[in-house]
Amino acid sequence: MFLAMRELRHSKARYALIMVIMLLVSFLVLFVTGLAKGLAYANISAIENMPTNYYVVQGDAEHKFRRSQLNDSNLKDVRAIVGNENATPLSMQMSTITATDLDVKADVTFFAVDMAGPIAPKVVQGAEISNDTVGSVIVDRKLEESGIKIGSVISDQQTGMTLKVAGFVEDNSYSHTPVVYINAHDWQELTTGVSQKGATDHPASFNLIAVHATSDQATSLQEGLKGVDVITQKEAIASIPGYSEEQGSLLMMIAFLFVISAVVLAVFFYVITIQKTSQFGILKAMGTKTSYLAWSVLGQVLLLSVSSLVVSLLMIGGMKMILPESMPFQLNTPTLILTSSLFVGMSLIGSLISVLKVAKVDALEAIGRVGA
Amino acid sequence: MTTAKLVMKQVTKTYGDGDSTLSVLNKLDFQVNEGEFVAVLGPSGSGKSTFLSTAGALLSPTNGEILIDGESIADKNKAELTEFRLHKIGFMFQNAQLLPYLKVEEQLLFVAKIAKLSSSESKKRSAYLLKRLGIWERRNHYPEKLSGGEKQRVAIARAWMNNPAILFADEPTASLDFKRGKEVVQMLADEVKREGKAAVMVTHDERMLEWCDRVLYLQDGILLER
Repeated sequence: MFLAMRELRHSKARYALIMVIMLLVSFLVLFVTGLAKGLAYANISAIENMPTNYYVVQGDAEHKFRRSQLNDSNLKDVRAIVGNENATPLSMQMSTITATDLDVKADVTFFAVDMAGPIAPKVVQGAEISNDTVGSVIVDRKLEESGIKIGSVISDQQTGMTLKVAGFVEDNSYSHTPVVYINAHDWQELTTGVSQKGATDHPASFNLIAVHATSDQATSLQEGLKGVDVITQKEAIASIPGYSEEQGSLLMMIAFLFVISAVVLAVFFYVITIQKTSQFGILKAMGTKTSYLAWSVLGQVLLLSVSSLVVSLLMIGGMKMILPESMPFQLNTPTLILTSSLFVGMSLIGSLISVLKVAKVDALEAIGRVGA
Repeated sequence: MTTAKLVMKQVTKTYGDGDSTLSVLNKLDFQVNEGEFVAVLGPSGSGKSTFLSTAGALLSPTNGEILIDGESIADKNKAELTEFRLHKIGFMFQNAQLLPYLKVEEQLLFVAKIAKLSSSESKKRSAYLLKRLGIWERRNHYPEKLSGGEKQRVAIARAWMNNPAILFADEPTASLDFKRGKEVVQMLADEVKREGKAAVMVTHDERMLEWCDRVLYLQDGILLER
């Protein structure tokens, strides 16, 4: 690093410029990554946060939850394999709600679940509801931003049915809309308009069955049941409308940024290396090992990429503080570590052609040269 | 007793293959002893660069034997030759060829560092060399701030830094005017005598020969005395 450090010291402006470029690129990489993660979370957090790992959907529904329809006999078959407590039906419907006394209109997704089952909402504020409760719902906290409070009365725009907000859950979104948890009894009334007498833990027909199963059980489910598909949580998330498209385009941006940073560095260091060809010849003639020179180049790249990364991490940290709450932005430590190491890795890959060039320089070039 | 620092026996260097071969060095015999400063002259195209590269362990000869400080370089691989050059050979190049981003003192410390000399030892030696060559006051300057003569003096110091057995100088006066060129050659000659080393200078400048112990002419692939 003796040479590497002194060269940076001597050509400050040159290396500062490349550092600024890398700083901007790495900042953008981190920002878009955070945005992609945030959007993904806002999109599918309700599914992601479910403790169940497999979903049984109708065979011709192309894995799409809302297109699928199953009934009691499917549920019985599934429960026969994984056990009663590991399979629970879920019904969903997108709708628009308004709130009495409030000038609010919001798109939501109703989730009808067994309030005693494994995917029952985890209330963080307010009261839980049971399968016997009538006319109460648990809603995602995001609705709080529109002014809805515990005790507020919301009404479904289409049917006019009114429901009281009993409690809030956190991080429960589906297809970018807040989830409203409703029990089977109210679901019947919401969808059929008929109030059923007596409590039930699930409606007669529903969209899918959420299952907690081992992979062996999942295989036997798929093999044993006719006309249904067993999909993993990942597959379920990928088939949520818009999810793949949204994540795909953001991922493409991130991938391009990585490639751009590698190419920019590659070109920069290649030009500098070519400029220094005769210097490398001299150094080799004097007895400097090729490996020493190669590490010198790699050391510079590493130093530049890591230091610009550190600055952009600080900038991202500062930015997170001033971003509005509604902005979907999420960067957790594993993602940060992965993105940062990818960035440094790509930088090193970009510097490889310079290293190859250095390795190729012959000590002979030192003799008989007039030029500097 | 004088010991030979460089011995070249029947050295041949041939370029090309098949029908069109060109022997730049043709069974060349040469010996440089301790304390000797030898000049090699030749018109351009006579193979001075090839001669220097071969003698300086940068280029393997096609045939013949080369001993530097009593050690044969024939069966060394590339990495071993690099290591060998680092410890046994000092180079001076045209235009000094200092690294533009190292200060004068660092130029010397760097070669000591890659030779794994301890830092206190190398500091001492670089100070000693820089003082003796009269550039101690310039030790914290970058090469761009030095005159051509000063640069070559730094190059002399750098070449001697690792205590090599022999120094090869490739046209060290090419970019200097007569007065400064003379100074540099004089210093080179003094160093050879004082350190008990040997030096070979390739040049085409006949005015620089008065401090050399021997002058040889490279002609038709061999060295001739005149």
